[in-house]
Amino acid sequence: MATRTFAVRGMHCAACVGKVERALRAVPGVDEAAVNLATERAAVTWDDARADAPVLAAAVAAAGYELAEAPPPRAPGAAGDDPEQAARAAEQARLRRRMIAGGALSIPIVVGSMRELFPWAPAWLANPWTLLALATPVQFWVGAEFHLGFLRDLRHRSASMATLVSLGTNAAYVFSVALMLGPHTFMAAGAMPYFETSAVVITLVVLGRWLEARARGRTSQAIRRLVALAPRTARVLRDGVDVDVPTSDVIVGDLVRIRPGERVPVDGTIVEGASAMDESMLTGESLPVEKTPGSTVFGGTVNRTGSFVFRAARVGADTTLARIVRLVEDAQASRAPIQRLADRVAAVFVPVVLTIAAATFAVWLAFGPSPSFVYALTNAVAVLVIACPCAMGLATPTAIMVATGRGAELGVLVKNAESLEALARVDAVVFDKTGTLTLGRPTVTDVVPAAGVAEEDVLAFAAGAEQGSEHPIGEAIVARANERGLGLPPITEFTTVPGQGIDALASEGRLLLGNRTLMQARGVEIAPLAARADALAAAGKSLVYVVLAFRPLGVIAVADALKPHARAVVAALRGRGIDVTMLTGDARRTAETIAREAGIGHVLAEILPEDKAQTIRNLRAGGRRVAMVGDGINDAPALAQADVGIAMGSGTDVAMEAAGLTLMRGDLRGVVAAVDLARRTLRVVKENLVWAFGYNVVLIPVAAGLLYPLWGVLLSPILAGAAMAFSSVSVVTNSLRLKRWQP
Amino acid sequence: MIDPVCKMSVDAPRAAAQSTYKGQTYYFCAVGCKQKFDREPEKYLAGGSSPMSASAP
Repeated sequence: MATRTFAVRGMHCAACVGKVERALRAVPGVDEAAVNLATERAAVTWDDARADAPVLAAAVAAAGYELAEAPPPRAPGAAGDDPEQAARAAEQARLRRRMIAGGALSIPIVVGSMRELFPWAPAWLANPWTLLALATPVQFWVGAEFHLGFLRDLRHRSASMATLVSLGTNAAYVFSVALMLGPHTFMAAGAMPYFETSAVVITLVVLGRWLEARARGRTSQAIRRLVALAPRTARVLRDGVDVDVPTSDVIVGDLVRIRPGERVPVDGTIVEGASAMDESMLTGESLPVEKTPGSTVFGGTVNRTGSFVFRAARVGADTTLARIVRLVEDAQASRAPIQRLADRVAAVFVPVVLTIAAATFAVWLAFGPSPSFVYALTNAVAVLVIACPCAMGLATPTAIMVATGRGAELGVLVKNAESLEALARVDAVVFDKTGTLTLGRPTVTDVVPAAGVAEEDVLAFAAGAEQGSEHPIGEAIVARANERGLGLPPITEFTTVPGQGIDALASEGRLLLGNRTLMQARGVEIAPLAARADALAAAGKSLVYVVLAFRPLGVIAVADALKPHARAVVAALRGRGIDVTMLTGDARRTAETIAREAGIGHVLAEILPEDKAQTIRNLRAGGRRVAMVGDGINDAPALAQADVGIAMGSGTDVAMEAAGLTLMRGDLRGVVAAVDLARRTLRVVKENLVWAFGYNVVLIPVAAGLLYPLWGVLLSPILAGAAMAFSSVSVVTNSLRLKRWQP
Repeated sequence: MIDPVCKMSVDAPRAAAQSTYKGQTYYFCAVGCKQKFDREPEKYLAGGSSPMSASAP
């Protein structure tokens, strides 16, 4: 089975995405096709015995689109020239221009149309020809995208906000022109021009589009940052001499030398030397991994203090890092855009409005006073005009904007609007373990003194020996001793015994710190501590025995501890109807201990990065809406795959780029706050839509003429204007309420 | 204390390693000496210096 990501050209909406996907899936041998509108990519999996790229391209062409080679990912170091970024900036600038033009033209139109409210307005401004001259560019240039959208909707036999806006404003504009050309015809019905209505509606909806474009955030840099993890050059042994070559020139079988502190360029097996590697990018494991000849090393990982030579086994696109990059790319390519809520409401609203307008026309034509045709036309148009709510385009973006600002104040960084919307609907949260649920570095969890020994002494001697250690366990012990304000005994002759611990000299005698292997090698009897030690080891903790002059002082247990509030956060999420799962590359025993402490029942341990993404895919395929919370490079594919990814601000840049939200302070309570904020925001958006449509809906019967038999009241521009004003103010005010939201 | 393997003088609390054999505790100047002793304790105890413990054989 072959899987590749292609570029697709010619799509502009969700219906196009469906057509391309159906065309690809119809090709015999194609297993899966996922098309993304925003990135213009199609990720296709097919049996290469039954189909190939040209066949796929032909199928897509038959559907009316173009399938092409995807451009290669940006090379490391290529800064700034990001085509997607440029496209977004251009779109924002375009909308801003139109919005400003719309605003600048609408103001005089409103003033001129409503001289009753603005008696100081000059007469020429109220002249219909002036109004026409001002309104025309707004109608057809500022509002162009809605008319084009209306035509597209017609082709697809659907309706959206664009249809509603186009219908309503065109009805207003054309009617106003007709009125202008034949004023006497319409005088009987008391019709009035609606230039200001169409202009203001268009301007406000474009304002909403501009706000949305700004809220869409910038392109994810996750891929770029992942690619940057592999060093650009490698030190290869050629003819017995160390030569620096570009990493891309390293071939399988090359011998590569790594010095302390350097990053490994490609995957391979150690042939000479030994060291400890920081492999947290792959496993999330916070402790260094010992490597000896025969061990595998991975490109992108960091070497600690040893040096070694390894034979390259996987290079280029085959390295583990390259696999992670592909996973993230595929995940990003398969994102489907969330349809605007306002579009969905409009889709239902449009047919209803058209029906009412048609009915209005028919009833007035049949039963209205003469000239009944004039009355019928005027009132049918009035229904169309009033049915177009100007604030509907503002309903979502204003709420999102205020929510994003409030979130930032609370340490929740929302990168794009769709992440917030997705989070509101989430019913399952998957947590990474190391660095997300846990602190990400070892801390001292237990100090077990031997009989007759004080706990402080165990810690003090251990810390004395570990001072200046760069090993995470040593740092943890020193930190705990400092916390307790312990005075450390003077220690000399400090030696590291690789794989075992530390051999040092205190004034009282030899001080040994280390694991069971060290104890056995030195002949120290630790049986009295065995029971407690075994219990701690069973919980997956690392043990450090502290022995002074062959007398065991005690054992210190070190583990990556759960973050504060973790248990409360898990309970809080459950209380909100959200299922909680833990996903980790770490060992099962450690994982289960942490999960138990946190109150998480569902644990998946020893999971590789690609399987993390697959787990998320499985959950989503089962109909769950999944949020992934992670911090490491190995979480990036899963973060990109989830409905919404949440990164810990204390974690890696790659994770923050792959996710849609970042919790700045790494505090788990931010997850609950983010969920609550998202849900509240969605409620506000729905409320806004009610306000946006509400005033107008109330006036539809008036426009249709229901009040005419009673009080002779029909729609007028004043009424329409009032509806517009009230609904806009209501929407904005309602959105601003989010400013005061408390977690 | 004398290291039974290398015959060097060893200060018990500062010894590198120790072994217990037949109820007696012996101290060594280095891990290597302990390893040799543990493999063939009789070889190093017979003939020559005796370990510095209370009762001599």
